[in-house]
Amino acid sequence: MKDNHMIEIRGLNKFFGKLKVLKNIDLDVRESEVVVIIGSSGSGKSTLLRCTNFLEKSQKGTITIDGNVVTHKSKDLHIIRRDIGMVFQHFNLFPHMTVLGNVLEGLTQVKKLSKNEALEIAEAMLEKVGMSDKADVYPSFISGGQKQRVAIARALAMNPKIMLFDEPTSALDPELVGEVLVVMKDLAREGMTMMVVTHEMGFAREVADRVIYMDEGIIVEQGTPEEVFDNPKNERTKAFLSHII
Amino acid sequence: MVTQTPFLLALSFDGLEKWARIAAGFAKPAGYTLLITTLGILLGLGLGLFFALMRISKVKPVQWVSKIYIGVIRGTPLLLQLLLIYFGLVQIVRLERIPSAIIALGIHNGAYIAEIIRGAIQGIDRGQREAGISIGMTKWQIMKRIILPQALKRAVPPLGNQFIIALKDSSLASAVSIPELLLHARQLGSSSFRTMEMLLIAAAYYLVMTSVLTFFSTRLEKRLSVSDHRT
Ligand SMILES: Nc1ncnc2c1ncn2[C@@H]1O[C@H](COP(=O)(O)OP(=O)(O)O)[C@@H](O)[C@H]1O
Ligand SMILES: [Mg+2]
Repeated sequence: MKDNHMIEIRGLNKFFGKLKVLKNIDLDVRESEVVVIIGSSGSGKSTLLRCTNFLEKSQKGTITIDGNVVTHKSKDLHIIRRDIGMVFQHFNLFPHMTVLGNVLEGLTQVKKLSKNEALEIAEAMLEKVGMSDKADVYPSFISGGQKQRVAIARALAMNPKIMLFDEPTSALDPELVGEVLVVMKDLAREGMTMMVVTHEMGFAREVADRVIYMDEGIIVEQGTPEEVFDNPKNERTKAFLSHII
Repeated sequence: MVTQTPFLLALSFDGLEKWARIAAGFAKPAGYTLLITTLGILLGLGLGLFFALMRISKVKPVQWVSKIYIGVIRGTPLLLQLLLIYFGLVQIVRLERIPSAIIALGIHNGAYIAEIIRGAIQGIDRGQREAGISIGMTKWQIMKRIILPQALKRAVPPLGNQFIIALKDSSLASAVSIPELLLHARQLGSSSFRTMEMLLIAAAYYLVMTSVLTFFSTRLEKRLSVSDHRT
């Protein structure tokens, strides 16, 4: 973990109609830091990730990505998004493209690389997630765990500075969770800056530099995995942890 | 005086040759039917795609234009549209019968195709768009590369259906005196006093053409489903 801030979120407020989902969130994530976000359903974890990626418009607050202040009015939002990879609970692979096609898409369409350059990167990414042998297969023919690994490869192909994971293993059969977590652990080891929403407490303990507990749109408590899991200070954190462990 | 012989009697051996000649004479009118249908559908596809995209636009006035077009076209009979365009446009620009029928069929089918495509686009999971956004694609790239290919694939069965309807509807172009199948059958029927037989020949032509359309649309559907897991 380095000292500079890769992400700086200041005074972030997000409403859905009248419902206030994020309440004045302040959060810094350092380069190469792995932040795991936990909390019960509806507490605003997904919304926080989605605002960080500008998939959702926030009403108030600023987000700084690697030193650049980004707002919704920023003209080159789609360029900034290349620096932020996102992995979704339901994979969201493009079903009409092969596994390789999925990974190539951003390289050829967004980065406008030549076919050969793109192929080289895409194949390396599939190799990295252990999916090379399925390159020419369509997503509907592979398992959930394999889909999620391809989705990670697709995001990584853009060479992002930050990776956001929104419950990447929640839609998976239990026996498929491990293969995805292995890939994520590798990424963390290589120094990727990561924000991960997950219920995998084992993963959080092993990989997280910091664990954040969110409830009702507020960061209630944060600290090292040991601090949060073994000595939670807040009553709400204690109640949540006693439920899930 | 011509007396009407029963239909089956007419199918005696040397009659058969005569009937074959008459049936072959339907090929040219069938060509007109195919011509106005095909070009009408192509125009309809273009208009349909265009108005479908307008219909889902976030800009309200753009939406309204599309809504009005679809509403007006679906709310009035095709026959009236054909007549209106033929007699109405002729006042403004010199327009032949056939182009006017193609334009009318195009505008008419465009409204239905717009609704088909809009439905298919809106049926695509929101996550597809978000995945495109997250790798930095622009709105138009996402539409062109992610949403439309999936939506059009889903739209193939209803579009095929619409093509068949269009083929049959093209018979209304007889109202502006285009020598297509139905008009040919009626004219020949009344001049030969064999209306029934002529109509049946026309029916056979329509059936063959719609069957061919069905065949190709089913095949296209199969071809496009290579990416689907079959269980
Ligand atoms: N698009 C939306 N429109 C309206 N309400 C939403 C939308 N997305 C999320 N919400 C609401 O915002 C709250 C937080 O949701 P979310 O961030 O998905 O929570 P989490 O990921 O922690 O389960 C929930 O009450 C949810 O119902
Ligand atoms: Mg969520």
